Amino acid sequence: MEKNASAAVKPPARAIRKITLGRNTYSVPEIVVGVLLLVPSIVFLVFTFVIPVVQVVELSLTNFNMATGEMSFIGLRNYRYLLENSDFWLSMWNTCKYSAAKLIFDTSLALLIAVQLDKNIPLKKFLRSTYFAPVVVPMVASSLIWIWFYDPQVGPFNQILSFLGLPELKWLYSEHTAMISILLFSIWKGLGYNVVLFLSGLQNISDSYLEAARLDGANEWQLFWKVKFPLLRPITNFVVIMCIINSFKVFTEINVMTPNGGPLGSTRLIVSYIYEQAFTNGRMGRASAAALLLFVVIFILTQIRSAMDARKDVDYE
Amino acid sequence: MKPMKKVIAFLLVALLLLPGCVSQYANTVNKADPTAAPAQQAETKTETKAETKTEEKPGEAAPTEAPAREKQTLQVWYAVSGTSGDKFVAMSKAFDEGNDLVDLELSYSGGSADTATKVSAALLTNTQPDVALMYAGPLYTGGRNDYAMAELVKRAEYDVDDIFPGMLDYCTYMGQGICAVPFGISTQVMYYNKTLLEKAGVDMTNPPKTWQEFYDLCADLLVKLGGEGKDFTAFDVSDAPWLFKSMLKQNGCEIVVQGDDGKIKPVYNDAAALEVTDFWYSLVTSGIMAAGEHDNAENRFLSGNCAFIAATSNRISRWRGATEFELGAIEMPYFKNPSLALGGNVMVILTDDPQKVEAAWEYVSYLTTAENNAEFALATGYLPIRKSELNNPDIQKALSENALYSIAFKQLDYTFAYTHFEQMGTMDSLIRNMLNKLEKNRGTSQALLDKAVKDLQSEIDEG
Amino acid sequence: MSKPADIQPMRIRRKHLNGYQWYVFVMLTIGALFMLFPFVWMILSAFKTKADVYAYPPRWIPSSWQWENFTKVFEMIPFWRYYFNSIVTSVIETVLQIVISIFAAYSITKLRYPGKKLFLAFMRSSLFVPMVVTMIPMYLLVASLGWLDSYAGIIFPQVTTAFTTLLLMSYFDSIPKDLVDSAKLDGCGYFRVLTRVIVPNSKGAISTATLFSFLGNWKSYTWPLIVTTKTEYRTLPIGLKYLMQESSSEYQVMMAASLMAILPVLIIFIFCEKQLVRSITLTGMKS
Repeated sequence: MEKNASAAVKPPARAIRKITLGRNTYSVPEIVVGVLLLVPSIVFLVFTFVIPVVQVVELSLTNFNMATGEMSFIGLRNYRYLLENSDFWLSMWNTCKYSAAKLIFDTSLALLIAVQLDKNIPLKKFLRSTYFAPVVVPMVASSLIWIWFYDPQVGPFNQILSFLGLPELKWLYSEHTAMISILLFSIWKGLGYNVVLFLSGLQNISDSYLEAARLDGANEWQLFWKVKFPLLRPITNFVVIMCIINSFKVFTEINVMTPNGGPLGSTRLIVSYIYEQAFTNGRMGRASAAALLLFVVIFILTQIRSAMDARKDVDYE
Repeated sequence: MKPMKKVIAFLLVALLLLPGCVSQYANTVNKADPTAAPAQQAETKTETKAETKTEEKPGEAAPTEAPAREKQTLQVWYAVSGTSGDKFVAMSKAFDEGNDLVDLELSYSGGSADTATKVSAALLTNTQPDVALMYAGPLYTGGRNDYAMAELVKRAEYDVDDIFPGMLDYCTYMGQGICAVPFGISTQVMYYNKTLLEKAGVDMTNPPKTWQEFYDLCADLLVKLGGEGKDFTAFDVSDAPWLFKSMLKQNGCEIVVQGDDGKIKPVYNDAAALEVTDFWYSLVTSGIMAAGEHDNAENRFLSGNCAFIAATSNRISRWRGATEFELGAIEMPYFKNPSLALGGNVMVILTDDPQKVEAAWEYVSYLTTAENNAEFALATGYLPIRKSELNNPDIQKALSENALYSIAFKQLDYTFAYTHFEQMGTMDSLIRNMLNKLEKNRGTSQALLDKAVKDLQSEIDEG
Repeated sequence: MSKPADIQPMRIRRKHLNGYQWYVFVMLTIGALFMLFPFVWMILSAFKTKADVYAYPPRWIPSSWQWENFTKVFEMIPFWRYYFNSIVTSVIETVLQIVISIFAAYSITKLRYPGKKLFLAFMRSSLFVPMVVTMIPMYLLVASLGWLDSYAGIIFPQVTTAFTTLLLMSYFDSIPKDLVDSAKLDGCGYFRVLTRVIVPNSKGAISTATLFSFLGNWKSYTWPLIVTTKTEYRTLPIGLKYLMQESSSEYQVMMAASLMAILPVLIIFIFCEKQLVRSITLTGMKS
């Protein structure tokens, strides 16, 4: 493959054949190489995405039961059930709240920390590793630690609160604090990812820009908003989109920390709802329908996000 | 537009694959219809690979001839862990060693929820283990119309009449037939922190018999032990729906009834249920029980922040001698008459292959002989399943020496199992949510009960 | 290999300009303490006695240091086997993911052909679907391939390349077109452009992507749980979960196991972090 491709390029005049589609002209070897390079991706996409999702679509139109294996076609009944079901809407609403909070805190904190870590400070490497360290801990282990922290009796958090003379909290067991507790945990857990992304973006900013701005008398604040932030835009976009997608898909930590939807269902997020429908109630069909609705919601949100961004995505066509 | 076409082509291929996948489900549904299976197997060449694992192939050919028995390897999944898991493995190994014709391959398949998920998934693809020790759930064979177990237990040497009737009910699906054998069955036991009660000067020689007496004792305890700014509660329960169901029955509510048409009808919103619910709520308002902290009940108890806990009898093996305080137990209080819902595990045979079924039965009946099951019960805190076990000298000895066992075993006299049906998991989660709302004062008892019944009814009607 | 000489002058200059910014350091240290607190707790708890765990009020320092907690882990689960499985599966997954992603990202950002947008839309939407949902269809597929309880069954369904491809694309984009063009003029074919120009200039991005992808695979839980039953294929997160069930009220043993599970990864990370950040710095295609 490599030989063909390079042979095609070496004597440019002779070998490159052109093809015109619409207004664009393409080189045929380039198309061949380009598509060949995509083949592995496509194979795995089909395997891990297309086939399962097509089946999920199919299942969503049936009453497929996990426990008995029975299945018959029931049209759009699952969708109607979900749209009329208050628990479904509650879990959607919970998910939106969670995602919004996570998006705001996670990105802004990560950016703040990354900017500070980029400054001239002692023990830089150590601090950088520290902020990333929680990412490394397996979810089962880290959620166990945090469940312990939150334990109203034997947990250190309440001990600290009472030491400070503050009222003790029920943390995961009160509908007022359960979601906040989970957020605190997941920010701790996930912050490092975004810090590393932002940091790598910041280090790519040429010093000459910063020097120039400094010479113009810009202070730190202006330096950030006028120079660094605009230049970080591609990374910020990436972080925001990934944050939205991931927070809509969050499951493991929720399920481990507050099984059964938490106090008054206040931490039942959409994927937990789907899981309960599929495995507690055995309603695989209904779970599939809910999953597709979730898909639509994420799709719309990411589209809105892209539309809001004044600058268009790079046009790859 | 080559790539676009490619994507579309892949989509089409995926759509073409669909019928194959769908018939896969159909395949498992019509398990009873053997003619359907071979046709579908030809569809995917690789499918047969799945069966290369063990002796499936000889098994396929064998039934027609039914010759002298061949050696069988059984895949066994089990969902009990810790001391219980160790004991189960040890007993299985003992069987394996004493039997030349059966080999066991044991795998721990996770807790009850994980195992249920895995077994369901495996049944869809015919990759299920041959035998499983798992939470009764919808009794996976019964839900699939497989009552082979009902015939097996009738064999003379097994002496099924020796098994407690309630336990057999626990293994019966929709009142139709036995589809499992009880093993690792439990009830809830009321444990208490002896050290703490002694400190409070509460005399337990005459333990409370009814819930009202229990309530009074707890209220008294709160006065004596609470009020130090410590988050102390007198009582909690780790599995709230389980206790609630027992309480319903104690007060004369049937939980669910099966109509003449065979359909299940939930009835836990009658007057008896309302009394139970109101009592439950009074436990919270009086501060005897924390609102909605059942997931943390065991930690609360172990850290000495709770005097009484209703938890599975299986905790005897885990907690005995391992707590920082002296552990005691009393018989579960009751309303009108003592009554306790059974819970815990059963053994199911999931294979279809007649030879393997034979081997699996040998294994299952070995584990459930009076002698062996007594051994398991004593090691784990699970209950004896046979009446004759109570005459076993070891059990007698344990009963006289250890109050925990004597309480758990004494409760056997009034255990029951309600009808098992497909949506029993849904019922538990509806009751759990209802109690959560009740404890947090989000509606009247009657309204909450009505909603829980209505929701379950519509799930049942959905089919 | 990178040339540290390149960055040295810049670092020194910055230091000269400002000196250390101490107030930033103090702020970050306070934040770091919050991040580290759970680790400190984990280490302390791994040595506690059971009585310490359930002490009220909570006891922070173990009353006596229990090394047995660690040996207990080995008695209860085949820890190293799980570790080995986790490493094998996550390394293979990561290598596949990164190689495939590099191909795709290069193809999309640097080659001209129609239909890319559709592919991109496809790939992006694959991010929208939670594993819980595709689990059962995937299970049916894997079972029909006979891959239950095998490395292949754990690995292939988890090779999801969308995230890494998108990440790499955003870096490949920033590699100037001139660089690619001049390489072509020098007689490089498409593949040599990839290996000589794109990859060396994106070391930082690729190592970031590798790290993320490895960690994602390292902690993956839901899928290996359902696809494996035999002990010999069980991965570490499942092992930890099972240990948690086995020893339900023995937090101290769980903490010892968790500590052993993360320590090697943490050490590798701390060593590589230096390399990682340096290569990101060098990647900067400063115009």
